[in-house]
Amino acid sequence: MNTVTMKWLLRREFWEYKGSMLWAPLAVAALLVLSIGATMAYGLAMHDLPTHITINGQTLNGYSVGVTLELRNRIAQVASSVYLGASLPLFGLLTAVIFSYCLGALHDERRDRSILFWKSLPVSDAMTVLSKAITALLVAPLITIVVGTIASLLLLLIGCLALGVNGINILGPILASPDLYLSPLRILALLPVYLVWALPTVGWLLLVSSWARAKPLMWAVGAPLVGLLMVKWVSVAAENIGGQPLNLMHHAQEVVARILGGIVPGIWFSFHDGLPPALRPGPNGADMNSLVSGSYATLTHADAWLWALAGAAMLYAAMRLRRYRDEG
Amino acid sequence: MNSVISAKGLTKRYGKRTAVDGIDFEIPAGRIVGLIGPNGSGKTTTLKAALGLVPFEGALSVLGFDPRTQRDDLMQDVCFIADVAILPRWLRVKDAVDFVAGVHPRFNREKAERYIASTSLKPGMKVKEMSKGMIVQLHLALVMAIDAKLLVLDEPTLGLDIIYRKQFYQNLLEDYFDEHKTIVITTHQVEEVEHILTDLMFIREGRIVLAASMEEIGERYIEVMVSHDKLSAANALQPIDRRTVFGKSVMLFDAGAPGASNGISRQQLAALGETRNPSVADLFVATMKGSYA
Repeated sequence: MNTVTMKWLLRREFWEYKGSMLWAPLAVAALLVLSIGATMAYGLAMHDLPTHITINGQTLNGYSVGVTLELRNRIAQVASSVYLGASLPLFGLLTAVIFSYCLGALHDERRDRSILFWKSLPVSDAMTVLSKAITALLVAPLITIVVGTIASLLLLLIGCLALGVNGINILGPILASPDLYLSPLRILALLPVYLVWALPTVGWLLLVSSWARAKPLMWAVGAPLVGLLMVKWVSVAAENIGGQPLNLMHHAQEVVARILGGIVPGIWFSFHDGLPPALRPGPNGADMNSLVSGSYATLTHADAWLWALAGAAMLYAAMRLRRYRDEG
Repeated sequence: MNSVISAKGLTKRYGKRTAVDGIDFEIPAGRIVGLIGPNGSGKTTTLKAALGLVPFEGALSVLGFDPRTQRDDLMQDVCFIADVAILPRWLRVKDAVDFVAGVHPRFNREKAERYIASTSLKPGMKVKEMSKGMIVQLHLALVMAIDAKLLVLDEPTLGLDIIYRKQFYQNLLEDYFDEHKTIVITTHQVEEVEHILTDLMFIREGRIVLAASMEEIGERYIEVMVSHDKLSAANALQPIDRRTVFGKSVMLFDAGAPGASNGISRQQLAALGETRNPSVADLFVATMKGSYA
């Protein structure tokens, strides 16, 4: 393993896919900050918070109505624990970016024949395929985490300022809240979990990208769907003949979910026990620690590792295919 | 290890079609070899096998490596230009130089930058903004700055203007080639390379029909402008090709062909008319007769 070569290969991927890896999340983040931020600021500036109340002709202002210290702290706590939720659209975008990146990564270079240029340099097929897997599994998510955190912090700041204008100062409690600083680290801590669950999908997409002569999207999505249909047909036929329903459909759906859905952040909760109860939003915000512990708990299931192994095997197959793929 | 490329029984089949049919050849170091043949004759396939780009049957050793199993080692010492249009469209000039400098231990950055400075290429320019000639200049700048033992050029000037084509080969000779390097060029535009080659290999339908150095070819093949009164005498010597130029018969003789029992001497031919060395193009046409039928 030559780390200098790997560094240049990763840089190469970044040059080629800068638009989808960097500019797209930046653009979406800017849009989020502008639209949500402006809505918050406008809403709070134009329509005052219900901080004063009129009872029997007497107007009480916010402080006496009861935006108490306790309430302020609760707002601050909720805000600092869930503020990263503002970056959710970015993680949706990330899924789409990784999906299209993987499908094109080993196909486009064959289509425009630039593979012959890359192959004229002392860079092995193993290194090349590995650099593309690392880009999909680590580089792209990292960029999204950084951009998402910055955007969320900006939104939190705008919210604080808007509330502050209305006389509710929560900036202090928020800055004092450990959750503010821990949340980005928690997301970062999820990256290894993401890597394990996304590996089967990244492996499958890169394999199709390396194998398909044309239309990798059609093969990557179409082949599993046709497979599903056939399994459905077989199980219906078996049920009609033998009278016993086969439990094949469940397994087939599972396979399709693993090889196509693995790159969706958080998908790992859907494979087993569902979302941990503590994560469901409550009055105190979500318990973000259980997000991390719950995610790591999914790795105790053996199938996580078996599927990751299958993903690695598909990467290996993609590498072997690239070695002798002759486009004439 | 004297040979840069050594092939024995090299065979490549695509399904039922045999693209390369059990060929043997040796390419010594310090030569510029032209691998010449019509389209589909197997020349590109031969080179792809040597570069480890396709699997094959038979024995093939390139710089002592087996391209099938030792490609990663082989690529430290070999470079190739497969086709001029293959630089990726998004690549910038400066990024291309950075990347090759980063991954290739034998890349001389100053040399590449000096060459680029002599062209109209700008560091921030992307390949998709370049003309075809400029792409070749960039590719050449990158490749010529690599101190490779073997350089393989497969139809390097395909689709280029004549000015770029001439410049390409001129740069190759002046700035790149030396006695420690070996260059293999395939082309079907023979006229363009004949002055820089030291060796010729004609390939036809997957077989090598002629492999010789340019000196040997100069000694062996003789073209004669036969005078009218000597036509029957000339035909008796079995020319391998005849054509008519301005009403005069021009015949091509193989003085050293194994079939001619006692051979044909230069004196014999000189008696028939004016003799000269044939161009590679004429030799090519004579050798390839029938393959275009």
